[in-house]
Amino acid sequence: MSDDGRPILDVRDLRVRAGERLILDGLSLAVRAGEVHAIMGPNGSGKSTLTGVLAGRPGYEVVSGSASYLGRDLLAMAPELRAREGLFLAFQYPVEIPGVNNVYLLKAALNAQRKHRGLPELDAFEFLNLVRAKLASMRMDESLLNRGVNEGFSGGEKKRNEILQMSLLEPTLALLDETDSGLDIDALKVVADGVNAMRGPGRAIVLVTHYQRLLDHVVPDQVHVLAGGRIVRSGGRELALELERRGYDWLKPGTAAA
Amino acid sequence: MNPVPVLDRIAASHARRAPSLAGGAAWARRRGEALGRLVARGLPDRRDENWKYLDHARVGEYAFEAEPGVRTDRAALSGRLLDVRGAHRVVLVDGRYDAHLSSAGASGGLEVEDLAKLIEVDPQGAISLLRTPGEQADDRYALLADAFAEGGVLIRVAAGSILAAPVYLVHVATAGAPAVHHSRVVVDIGPGARVTLLEHFTALGGAAVLGNLAAELALGERAEVSHMRLHQHGPAAAQVETWVVRAAARSRYEHHLLALGGRLLRSNLDLLLEGAHAACRLDGLFLADGDRQVDLLTQVKHQGLATETVQEYRGIATARGRGAFNGRISVEPSARGSNASQTSRNLLLSPLAEINARPQLEIHVDDVQCRHGATIGTLDDDHLFYLRSRGLDEAAARALLTFAFCRDVIGRVPLGPVRDAAEVLVAGALPDRDLIRGTD
Repeated sequence: MSDDGRPILDVRDLRVRAGERLILDGLSLAVRAGEVHAIMGPNGSGKSTLTGVLAGRPGYEVVSGSASYLGRDLLAMAPELRAREGLFLAFQYPVEIPGVNNVYLLKAALNAQRKHRGLPELDAFEFLNLVRAKLASMRMDESLLNRGVNEGFSGGEKKRNEILQMSLLEPTLALLDETDSGLDIDALKVVADGVNAMRGPGRAIVLVTHYQRLLDHVVPDQVHVLAGGRIVRSGGRELALELERRGYDWLKPGTAAA
Repeated sequence: MNPVPVLDRIAASHARRAPSLAGGAAWARRRGEALGRLVARGLPDRRDENWKYLDHARVGEYAFEAEPGVRTDRAALSGRLLDVRGAHRVVLVDGRYDAHLSSAGASGGLEVEDLAKLIEVDPQGAISLLRTPGEQADDRYALLADAFAEGGVLIRVAAGSILAAPVYLVHVATAGAPAVHHSRVVVDIGPGARVTLLEHFTALGGAAVLGNLAAELALGERAEVSHMRLHQHGPAAAQVETWVVRAAARSRYEHHLLALGGRLLRSNLDLLLEGAHAACRLDGLFLADGDRQVDLLTQVKHQGLATETVQEYRGIATARGRGAFNGRISVEPSARGSNASQTSRNLLLSPLAEINARPQLEIHVDDVQCRHGATIGTLDDDHLFYLRSRGLDEAAARALLTFAFCRDVIGRVPLGPVRDAAEVLVAGALPDRDLIRGTD
């Protein structure tokens, strides 16, 4: 943990290319234990690239800069190692994987993490009890366990399933990529409750979102505005409300700050 | 590589061996005629439409000489067998029925007979029970088996018998020296009988044996057969097989081919839906791994009214593996009201691997519903990343997605020990395998 005051996530001057395009252009961000940060920005500002690069999605080229996680070079780690070390990405578009059932993935993910940490694997009984409790808290039906991963799930079910996985894996750093998009108000509350339940002194949470409505339910410690591939403004919760009122145009690079 | 043409080696071997084989003049004549027809026509080669993907040179690497097998006892074999509870076991060692290793006898409507013995004591009777192979390309390996016919097994299930335990037919290759063994299997399922038949191909040690099986199965009216075929040969063994299945009215034939072992497999399945309302489900899965070659031909003929085929074949090729699926369904004028669907889905996992898929429908009558399709693809990068982002390493993620690809086909296999064996052969020992099919 980072009780020495060192951030859990420390991104410095990160430049990232996808194909020919420079998407992140000097992004810096530090998130400490116990904090919830919201990253907001217009479409195309680089939000998903940021979470993708941090989680290890292939297809990006890091041009310069660094990202460290608990003091280690995050960008040098394989995606599965990042996961086992406690990083979790809730996907904006969780994929459907027919033929791999949910319960298998949950157990394989949990045991991969436990094995990595030198903990004994959970037996079938302990595991199912744990999963059932988490399902109930996410108000998800138990039958989802035996369906293919996200197979035939509604948009809301997919997002809940991401939060279910997160609550089971208890990450040190959770990155939530537009988890609120496409949710009705009830599902939004369930997801927000799930995220709030994860808040704690040893954990850092980064919420990437286009709208501020999730932030009515999960109150962030800091809000950052991402535009043109870098953080152009940071502030408290009131910044989100201001964005809601004024939109993003006034923050675009080249526009004089009001 | 043996420089002598295969056919010449076959003829020379025949000249040496035929005089000592049992069955008297009738069988000498039958074998001689079969050889004569084969020599006149030649073995199939790349010019034959249904044989163009087979590596004929690889077939020719086998000795086409029947070397004596290695003595096999229960202990040597037991490690190779699946634990199928209560099974009626029928064991063919290098193509010959082995009564000592078999446990099935005459019981509850099941009858098992050693073909070698029958040829010896009742040559004419044996001839009357065996199909005479034709000269068309697809039947020439059966013709070859006929030219060397020596042993095999006859399995009969009496009308109305419902066998509670499966019949477990084991084909084991043992020969230490490169060899070719021919065998015959005849299965006769009486009207209304219900049978689960598991065939399991395995090899002891590094047996470099080419097994050539000519087999036939007849379903009486309303009979139901679930036929599993697990190919689990060692890396040096090869198999060529010709199955002819005939289905009478209202019978139901289920076929689960699991081609997951050996160096080469060429499998022909001819299925004739002769009687009205006869139905079949054909599932197949091949894994062309290492430098394995798998070449599957299925030909279904709808002849009876309102007959039905559902065929789903899946193939995986990796490393330098090569796979071919050639499936033809024909609906003849007599088969009004028939349904047929055929899918072939394939996964290509390495740039050096190769898959050819040719689904074909031939419809000679109106008033039928038929569809078919074939795909060849790779693993989805987004799926791989999703699994890795949850902590699964890349190898496990690939194995899991490969398993997922064939999960449906494996899942329909009715015997648990066969499913388990297939899962491990396809995906290796995945972590947390206990949950791979869910919590129930």
